[in-house]
Amino acid sequence: MAVAKLEQLSQSVVQDPSMATGAVPAMDWMDIPVTFKPGNYAYPAKKDKVEYLDSQKGLHFPNAREWSPEDDDWKLPENWKEIIIDGLGERLEKFRSLKIFMDCCVRCGACADKCHFYLGTGDPKNMPVLRAELLRSVYRNDFTLAGKILGKMAGGREMTVGVLKEWFMYSYQCTECRRCSVFCPYGIDTAEVTMMLRELLHLVGIGINWILEPVSNSNRTGNHMGLQPHTFKDNVDFLAEDVENLTGIKIEPTFNRKGAEILFITPSADVFAEPGLYTAMGYLILFEHIGIDYTWSTYASEGGNFGLFTNNEAMKKLNAKMYAEAERLGVKFIIGGECGHMWRVLHQYMDTMNGPADFLELPRSPLTGTIFENAASTKMVHISEFTADLIKHGKLNLDKSRNSHVKATYHDSCNPARAMGLMDEPRYILDHVVDWVEMPENTIREQTFCCGSGTGLNTDEIMELRMRSGLPRANAVKYVEDKHGVNMLSCVCAIDRATLTSLMDYWNPNVGVCGITELVGNAIVLEGETRGELDEGLRTMVF
Amino acid sequence: MTLEEALHNNRYKIVDKWVAYTLATYEASQFFTREKDSFANPVGGTIRDSLKKIFSLLTQNVEVASFKEPLSRLMHLRSVQEFSPSQAVAPLNAVKHITRDVLAADKETKPLVSELYDFEFSVDLAVLAAFDLYVECREKIYKIRVDEIRSGKQILTDGACPSRALKNIADTKRQK
Repeated sequence: MAVAKLEQLSQSVVQDPSMATGAVPAMDWMDIPVTFKPGNYAYPAKKDKVEYLDSQKGLHFPNAREWSPEDDDWKLPENWKEIIIDGLGERLEKFRSLKIFMDCCVRCGACADKCHFYLGTGDPKNMPVLRAELLRSVYRNDFTLAGKILGKMAGGREMTVGVLKEWFMYSYQCTECRRCSVFCPYGIDTAEVTMMLRELLHLVGIGINWILEPVSNSNRTGNHMGLQPHTFKDNVDFLAEDVENLTGIKIEPTFNRKGAEILFITPSADVFAEPGLYTAMGYLILFEHIGIDYTWSTYASEGGNFGLFTNNEAMKKLNAKMYAEAERLGVKFIIGGECGHMWRVLHQYMDTMNGPADFLELPRSPLTGTIFENAASTKMVHISEFTADLIKHGKLNLDKSRNSHVKATYHDSCNPARAMGLMDEPRYILDHVVDWVEMPENTIREQTFCCGSGTGLNTDEIMELRMRSGLPRANAVKYVEDKHGVNMLSCVCAIDRATLTSLMDYWNPNVGVCGITELVGNAIVLEGETRGELDEGLRTMVF
Repeated sequence: MTLEEALHNNRYKIVDKWVAYTLATYEASQFFTREKDSFANPVGGTIRDSLKKIFSLLTQNVEVASFKEPLSRLMHLRSVQEFSPSQAVAPLNAVKHITRDVLAADKETKPLVSELYDFEFSVDLAVLAAFDLYVECREKIYKIRVDEIRSGKQILTDGACPSRALKNIADTKRQK
């Protein structure tokens, strides 16, 4: 009798169809439709943003309109199917990697349980292999002989509106973090499959506002928030004033200065939103301390490149502006701030899009003479590489005790870790500026877990989704918080700084989030400073 | 054998069944059950760990406040997954049925089933506390959304941008 009651308990509660609950009867994955409801999708792009982008040279964002994923009718162009299939064909020709990724997967399942979306939701379509299969099934049906003849038996399926909706649902439940690709024996980069899905969706006017508005703003004013030059300058000046209030040292950053040796580019979030502001103060203090000849730019005022999350043309255009500005100013090389996907674009795509940057010089640290051979083609050095080299050569006067209020851990931001191999430099810096501990081995370095909100998914309307996909990261932070009393999660990515803050607020409210350079800036002893006791470092409120 | 002893002796069996029941509410239940590394499998790990602690507390006849930590972890998880409120909390009730079933299956412990009133009352209290925590988590989500909207963007709309400030002045004049 008891068991019968138990079965009834499973059924006596509300049972809306939901992938996560198992309330939907088990059937072939191809036959389970997606259901859009508030909270499980990001808002579509506004009509005027899409119109603007489509009007820009070199960009193609057609079918601007008002629409909602919850509506049955997505107001697609009449020949949408032809556009998608032709678009796929064009990309298979253009990108050899896509063709290989479509053909070589043997469905071994090594990637299946490595995705933070799958781990947080339990939804099988969030297994990277199955997410890729959403595209691969259409590829098989229309582009392989077996699929053309055998159809579903060969794993093929026809492109339908239902499939298109599924693409939208799941290509925006992937942060292109590439953890899955670390485990793939064939090296399939599932992030690139997601990128292709998103590109194809844009061909028929399906995109989200949180991505297209920043792309449109970056194209117009140079940064995600649409800050105009005077505002950008004002914000950096405010931060310099804050540094003066804290340390007594007056810093006068320069902007758009021709003939400077170095151009510094960082995500705009660092100059307008907490906690990135403190990282930006760290940059100001660091550069003042070593006295390099550098300039900010109010035109290349954004390291981030949301173009990466739309299509290759937008990515190329936004990346190009950094180099156009470097050339205009006549700098020798570029130092890049703590950003995530900027570095993926730089290291993996820049060379074939806009590179090599031959008009710049091989980056050479003016203080240590170190030549950054790894940046020989892009001429752009990561701030952590640059800082670690300074520390190694004893060029920084550091007082670690200034961070004694902090017990840190380090989150390897996905793109710097997996796309450029930046893993030891931030750790080397941390060793010199703060007391810190590592999170468990299978959650760091190349196996790091994403914040759950990358690739333009850092929008508030999908907060629940972000919290569950960020669980694997939060879970590892909780472990070091409980075991070692960690109270600060450091990282080298602006999206991380914003989104991990929300993630920690939810899962581990006693843990703050900071950039590495904030900790560096706080530890630096500036010459002639009149700094008092700052209980919370650069975050201390002084009046 | 006393009820206390029976619950203690059967604790692994009951908790295992309870965990299996709870994980069966996920489509990916096989992986969530199989993978034992709690960093590779945080849903499975969190559920196993918190149910284990909750069961131990249920058998100790303690104040409901003591349940807060493990219950809170469980509810933090289930309140952001795609469950209805009732589905999010329902697995907690299951332990009543599982315990009865396990005790009834053994000749020696069968007579103790009639003594489960206090244990089941504790489960009822835990379920009520879980509802509170579920709502607390949802409210926390809304607060985080608002905090996120507020952080940063107001710099652009609240005056730091001169062109915006000029527009505000013009708007005010027009209204007059």
